[in-house]
Amino acid sequence: MDIFTSIRVASSALQANSIRLNTISSNLANIETTSTPEGGPYKRKSVYFQTTPLSFQEQLNANLRNGVQGVKVTEILEDTEPPKLVFKPDHPDANEEGYVAMPNINLLEEMVDMMNTTRAYESNTTTIKSAKKMALKALEIGR
Amino acid sequence: MKTHSISDQSIALLKKVLDLRADNEKVIASNIANSETPGYAPARFSFEEELKSAVTSGLFSMETTHSTHFPLGSKNPADITGQIVTKKDSTGIGDQNSVSLEQEMLALSENQLLYEATAQLLNKKLSLRKYIIQGGQ
Repeated sequence: MDIFTSIRVASSALQANSIRLNTISSNLANIETTSTPEGGPYKRKSVYFQTTPLSFQEQLNANLRNGVQGVKVTEILEDTEPPKLVFKPDHPDANEEGYVAMPNINLLEEMVDMMNTTRAYESNTTTIKSAKKMALKALEIGR
Repeated sequence: MKTHSISDQSIALLKKVLDLRADNEKVIASNIANSETPGYAPARFSFEEELKSAVTSGLFSMETTHSTHFPLGSKNPADITGQIVTKKDSTGIGDQNSVSLEQEMLALSENQLLYEATAQLLNKKLSLRKYIIQGGQ
């Protein structure tokens, strides 16, 4: 028996979700950013989650095969949607017709995503707490 | 004649249950961790039925009188490994992830409670032994 496997699984999810929260906060911070070092307005970023096997030894455990998997962020994708054009002739980034390319970020979408991230993070901390309680209970045996 | 030792059948059974519940905890942790992973199919770890049949048949099992006889009935509780069943998303809506966080949290706390109950039973058993060893003092 290995108590730390479930804690490791949950902590992989904690890490993935904190990366997700970082990208969301970057999206929210740059919701009005019209110029970036790469040129053009800021593009919305989103994380991509993928399951990941924990360790070679875990794979060898035949009866739990593919049942126990962690999660990781494999890539951070940039949104391909075209920017929103807003008419602001006196803006420094405006084109000849007076339109400024604004990042195509939906504030509501980001907020909902943020709430989801918080819930996912919380549920994984609950898993860690539960695993810890179980381990402590096991330590009490024979006392 | 049966031999009496410090660790009897019910202690072995409780030990097995602790192991199986710890495995179940890992599987549930994996489901919760992947609750937002596209295409993830949650796994269920089941051993209860197997354990039940092993325990109930153990009471009325046929004795093997020769080492080459096949044991009748089911297996020894110690041989139970449990089974993993994954359930793929059948709705076809969204990201093909069929994890229900509510169900997983419920399974998590249920598993934890049953683990603690088992540990407590084991504890009581052992403290009874201790009491006897100390001559009931």
